[in-house]
Amino acid sequence: MGAFQWLMKKITKVFGHSTNALFYTLLYREILKEINEITKKEEDSLVILKEIGKRSGYESCERHSSIFKFMPGSPKKILEYFEILWVVVFGKELDDYSYEEIFKEDSKYNDYILKISKCPICAGYGQDNEDTFDFSKTKKEKTEGLACGLSGMLESVANYILKLKRNDYRIQIIEQTCMARGGDSLQFICKIHDYKQWKELLDSKDQEKDTLNAYFGERLEEEIVQETKLDIFDKLQDVISIDKLEEYLDEPLETLKERISDIIRDKLNMEPDQFFDYFRNYEEDMVRIIGYLGIHLLNEYGGILERSLKNEWFAKVFGYLFKQIKETVLLFIPLDVIRDYNELLVNFLEGLAPIEMVDNIKTFTGKDTINLLFEGAQMALENLGIEFTELKENVWEELKKEREDGLISSESSAADKTRERVPQIINIFQEMLMIITDILTLPIRVLISESHYGLKTAINSVISEEEGLYGSIKDRFDRIFDQIEEIRK
Amino acid sequence: MNYSRADLTQTDATMNQMRNSVYELARFMGKNGVADLKVKLRKMGENIGKTYIRYWKPTDQVNISNLKDVITTIYQKILNSSVSIEIVETEKLIKVQDQKCALCKYQYDDVEIAGCEIIIGMVSEIINLINKEARDVSSVSINPFEVAESRAYGNKVCIQIYKYKIGGRS
Repeated sequence: MGAFQWLMKKITKVFGHSTNALFYTLLYREILKEINEITKKEEDSLVILKEIGKRSGYESCERHSSIFKFMPGSPKKILEYFEILWVVVFGKELDDYSYEEIFKEDSKYNDYILKISKCPICAGYGQDNEDTFDFSKTKKEKTEGLACGLSGMLESVANYILKLKRNDYRIQIIEQTCMARGGDSLQFICKIHDYKQWKELLDSKDQEKDTLNAYFGERLEEEIVQETKLDIFDKLQDVISIDKLEEYLDEPLETLKERISDIIRDKLNMEPDQFFDYFRNYEEDMVRIIGYLGIHLLNEYGGILERSLKNEWFAKVFGYLFKQIKETVLLFIPLDVIRDYNELLVNFLEGLAPIEMVDNIKTFTGKDTINLLFEGAQMALENLGIEFTELKENVWEELKKEREDGLISSESSAADKTRERVPQIINIFQEMLMIITDILTLPIRVLISESHYGLKTAINSVISEEEGLYGSIKDRFDRIFDQIEEIRK
Repeated sequence: MNYSRADLTQTDATMNQMRNSVYELARFMGKNGVADLKVKLRKMGENIGKTYIRYWKPTDQVNISNLKDVITTIYQKILNSSVSIEIVETEKLIKVQDQKCALCKYQYDDVEIAGCEIIIGMVSEIINLINKEARDVSSVSINPFEVAESRAYGNKVCIQIYKYKIGGRS
């Protein structure tokens, strides 16, 4: 599984609100039954369920649009990431599936058929007395099955991403076979249309339009986002989307430099040395900006950091963690490593930035660089809500103070809950510190291996992806996400 | 071989879109002349409870001494919610406060119903069905009373109230 897929799945799982899957499925069934109570026509009910799925998927996307900014913008890629869409919409891993590409003549994109062997929506349907929606009353060949609400959600999420990425193609997702209707699997066909074809397709569905008009009064209209002025992140986003993470990991430093140069030329319309010339004689500020932007860039991925820091308690914990790292970073990183980092920065800038600027940076000690980076990062964290001036010497004093002030409830159940969370929180601290320690060994590996095997070799430590640095970091993040999930429960 | 419903009790699903679907359904019902949404949603909850209990139940009997624990377990296991519960003996009421209700998160200007109605229908049905099988005089029966507060109404938490009776239907 690619890094991007893994990250998106973890983020959406941890930050969505989950319930037991059987409750989900039974609620879904009840919604269909209530629709059918009104329409009394099974085929109409399925059309309406799909529309409700589309609308609810669209609402979720609107509320969390920043997460989708970093999803891949090509229809083909979106289908490749169907697994993520399934998790985003359904919150459940897609256990066993296959897809087949169907060649489409005179078309930029082919159609895809997705075959999913296990469908949670259809699980056990028909075995309980309350499963009263009768599929035998649906006669039309093109009628979708029980998962049509789900296909509506998937279609809506996929098209929202395309709209957000200013892509003029749209995806139609139709449920072709349904296990509740006797199929051997859940099967979707995904057709990719350009916007004109898409509009024509929607207009041509007279019967569906009539049904929706009769019961809803209007259809969910989708507009093409007009080309508006883009900010620098929007411009860079096409190139630095985290779905390209794997590509970056594959490329050594020189190729990375070339790529950065291309980005600056393409997106900012200037030569790299012109771009870096803006920072000449302000090299210290430039390093601070890297720290500052690093935090803000992290926050760009769904605004998760900013939202988390709105919680006063979490902001304090994060603040203490940051302070601790800032104070101890120089104790546990060998000076040689820090020098290597500095050298890495110099190597990176050579050929990209003006010579005078590179010379100025060469005068920085490794300690200077680290301190400047942390200063920048601290400024960004202050922007995002951490009040560093209000923090105590350490987190234990903070907890003690809150108890005395009565800010943490003295009610035993609340105290119990807090105590229950302590092991998870300590685990998160520990894992984060271990990640940082792992990462801090990176420059030595990069510099040594650059001339031999490149950046990927360094990251994977010549053993294997799973056992190397990348694998180690992934494992640690897996554990952190697990602990967060435990706390949220 | 597809999943069974028993399999589904062992896994979680993300509710974000389904929660939105409940309010879309409420809009759809409103547009099509359904007058008593509250009754409809509670009935949906009852149906969910009737099916659910065939695959999982928290205990074999509910009486006043374990009532709070049973309700806590149902909310935790089915809805992933940690709730606080108060029993008001004088009025025979159970007040459940849920800070992260699975079916209520946002307030909508055009919908005047809380998704919690489904939950109180389901929880009541599960408890009543457990005790229907137990047939004990000390058993408690509960009925949905009201959703006093809900995040769907703009409140900070959801407060769901049940009426209880010892030894039979409330």
